[in-house]
Amino acid sequence: MTAFLIRRLGFAVITLFAVLTLVFVLVRIVPGDPAQVILGDQASREAIEALRERLGLNLPLYHQYVVFVWGALGGDWGTSMMTGRPVIQEVLNVLPWTLELTFLSLLIGVVIGVPLGVAAAVRRNRFTDYAARIGSLLGLSFPPFVSALLLLLAFSIGLHWFPVISAKSGSLSAWVESITLPAINLGLITAAYITRVTRSAMLEVLQEDYVRTARAKGVPWSVVVWRHALRNALIPVITIIGLYLGILIGNSVLTEIVFSRPGLGKLIVGALNQRDYTMLQGMMVIYTLVVVLVNLATDIAYGIADPRVKFK
Amino acid sequence: MKKQLILGLAVAAGLATGFGLDPAQAQKKSLVIGMGSADAGKLDPHLASTTPDKGLLNYIFNGLVRVKPGQASPDFIEPDLAESWTTNANGTEWTFKIRSGVQCHHGYGPFSAEDAAYSIKRASNKATSSYSGDFAAVDKVEAVDGSTLKITLKNPVAGFLGYVANINGGNMVCKKAAEEMGENFGKKPIGTGPFQFAEYQPQQFVKLTANKQYFRGAPVLEDITYRYIPADSSRDLAFQSGELDMIYGKQDQTWVDRTSKLPGVKVKAMEPGELSALYLNITSKPLDDIRVRQAIAHAIDRKAIVQFKGAGSSREAVSVVPSGYLGTDEKSPLYAYDVNKAKALLAEAGYPNGVTVKTIHTTLTGMQTFIEAVQAQLKKANINLEIELVEHATFHAQIRKGLSPIVHYQAARFPVADVYLTQFYDSASNIGTSTAITNFTFCNVADTEIRAARVEMDATKQKALWKTAQEKLVTNVCGIPVYEQLQLWAWKDNLDLGYELNGSLNLSPPVTEKTKFTK
Repeated sequence: MTAFLIRRLGFAVITLFAVLTLVFVLVRIVPGDPAQVILGDQASREAIEALRERLGLNLPLYHQYVVFVWGALGGDWGTSMMTGRPVIQEVLNVLPWTLELTFLSLLIGVVIGVPLGVAAAVRRNRFTDYAARIGSLLGLSFPPFVSALLLLLAFSIGLHWFPVISAKSGSLSAWVESITLPAINLGLITAAYITRVTRSAMLEVLQEDYVRTARAKGVPWSVVVWRHALRNALIPVITIIGLYLGILIGNSVLTEIVFSRPGLGKLIVGALNQRDYTMLQGMMVIYTLVVVLVNLATDIAYGIADPRVKFK
Repeated sequence: MKKQLILGLAVAAGLATGFGLDPAQAQKKSLVIGMGSADAGKLDPHLASTTPDKGLLNYIFNGLVRVKPGQASPDFIEPDLAESWTTNANGTEWTFKIRSGVQCHHGYGPFSAEDAAYSIKRASNKATSSYSGDFAAVDKVEAVDGSTLKITLKNPVAGFLGYVANINGGNMVCKKAAEEMGENFGKKPIGTGPFQFAEYQPQQFVKLTANKQYFRGAPVLEDITYRYIPADSSRDLAFQSGELDMIYGKQDQTWVDRTSKLPGVKVKAMEPGELSALYLNITSKPLDDIRVRQAIAHAIDRKAIVQFKGAGSSREAVSVVPSGYLGTDEKSPLYAYDVNKAKALLAEAGYPNGVTVKTIHTTLTGMQTFIEAVQAQLKKANINLEIELVEHATFHAQIRKGLSPIVHYQAARFPVADVYLTQFYDSASNIGTSTAITNFTFCNVADTEIRAARVEMDATKQKALWKTAQEKLVTNVCGIPVYEQLQLWAWKDNLDLGYELNGSLNLSPPVTEKTKFTK
């Protein structure tokens, strides 16, 4: 297990480094000049050149790269070209908002998706199954910003249960008020994914000999389903949760925008629009780190779900 | 699961009887503004270049002079931090008498001529200011004594007072604070205005509190929360639900129509109008042939564009300079809409079967719908406009590299004809040069008049020069002005701004010491 972890972390470092280099090059290939964006459209060429020099953008690419990597290794991600605030501080400012939304919506997704998927598989081709399948198809095909607006129209404008601007903190009730709609919005979409995966994994497992054997032995049906079948069907479900966690952090941007919540998604879109190189570099590394860590956690979860999995 | 949603919607429809005033809001002292951007940018007045940042800074800073709140024309310039001013006969020496008893925010002491001198030097320095170009003619700035500021110019500057007004580089910062904080000044901007910076929450809001020592009197409002809400629909919903008192509107007519119908709401399309014009690179084929350019000008129906954009929020362009500026030729000889003439001109130029021209264009919605409408109009005259859509920052980079023979640009500038003419039509501003700003046309037909008007002290002669410049630019079809887009805002009618709102140079309504809630 330890050797496995060390090896995986080693790979993580290589991945991070590759992403770092790729991002460094990519942001500079995209047309658009941060100095121009910072100074606005009335700035003279002279002022723009002066700023490029101050930002170090006039240095040769390899020089900029060395400066960037050296800083990054020392834990210095630089300051945002746009706001002048340290990148790491900008990220840490909004990271908690993204994490709470991601994990809460994942929780909602699991709590709804797994039982629904199991029920659909068990009652295959009956009403429950059809309902679950149609429901999850809807969830998958609904653009998150449309569902977000519908939620706002219904529960904020219509019923006045929740604020439109979901960015309150402080008391617990304010937090619950502000997180509920965004979490439901993303949670329902996640639930749709999980329902479909759970259903198909369960269908496969329910065909297995050991399930028939267990039933023949007279094991109660509920025990067969929940203890024997589900346990074996969990691996693909965990995979999808792991994969989806990475996607979810990225996907949350539309939800963040419609619910006016701070978050990493908004930060990265803003940085991209403004060609904030330093910010983009820092953020991509953090995204990569999150995805790598989630993958690692997923691998470990396999072992917990299925003791036959060996960490090699 | 979506069933619940539908149920909720049904209930919502039943309850949607409009937003009534909450009695708990009586004597409200907190103003919440919803701005259409994702986050604050640079909150340093000499660096801020976006509408959201400029709007906010307007509440924090003063100029030496100001444009009367609610107005957007230099005709309304009045004293601000300077009580009075004098100038020599040729306009190269300006002496300002600085008001006494003005305090800088957060205990940074009294504001003196020393601060004013420092501030102008800071705004003239390209290392600390985006607006250094505006002060290129400044030779010397000195505080003669605590209350006298003297500015010496290398040459007279048209509408010089505009550069020391409460916008861009004219915003006065307090020396002690700016020196102490250096590059961090934008994290806690210190000015002398009616409201002072209190708090910034990333991607959420900036909070300002009343400056009780404000020299025009303590503000009635206690604080302003300036919220960053990028999604137009979310801003609208939060306005409807009562979470916002004033919002930046979606810049189109459907928004005006919809929002005007809400109960207890005021909607305003205010000055300045941003001029939407096409700039034609007269050195590129086939635009180097004036007949092709004239054909394009004849093929654009300004009236139809205004109908399409909405008569309440837009109007036809009058010249290559937006209407209402000091020196605008309000009746410039724009080409009339005439498809047959356009076709005839094309045939004469050797393109009887039509011609294809290209533009690189931004994906910003308001601008994109415009260029698509223009494309449809040009089609009728057999002019095929190829539109290459790119994202906004890419657009700005590529048009400055001369990659787009036709450039659609939408902008408002300080309302003196010289600014627009210099930036868009003086050949010194040609893209690709070291002094480049935004001359995409490579036109130089009006250089003589533009430069002569800039230093002309006789107002009548100056206006005549500007008029000639505009006539030349219009007839040579360097630019084709099409329509002007007004600034759209809405606020609750229990908010009394304290002045009549016709416009604002900062593109957002001023909040002054007199602004208050009436109930």
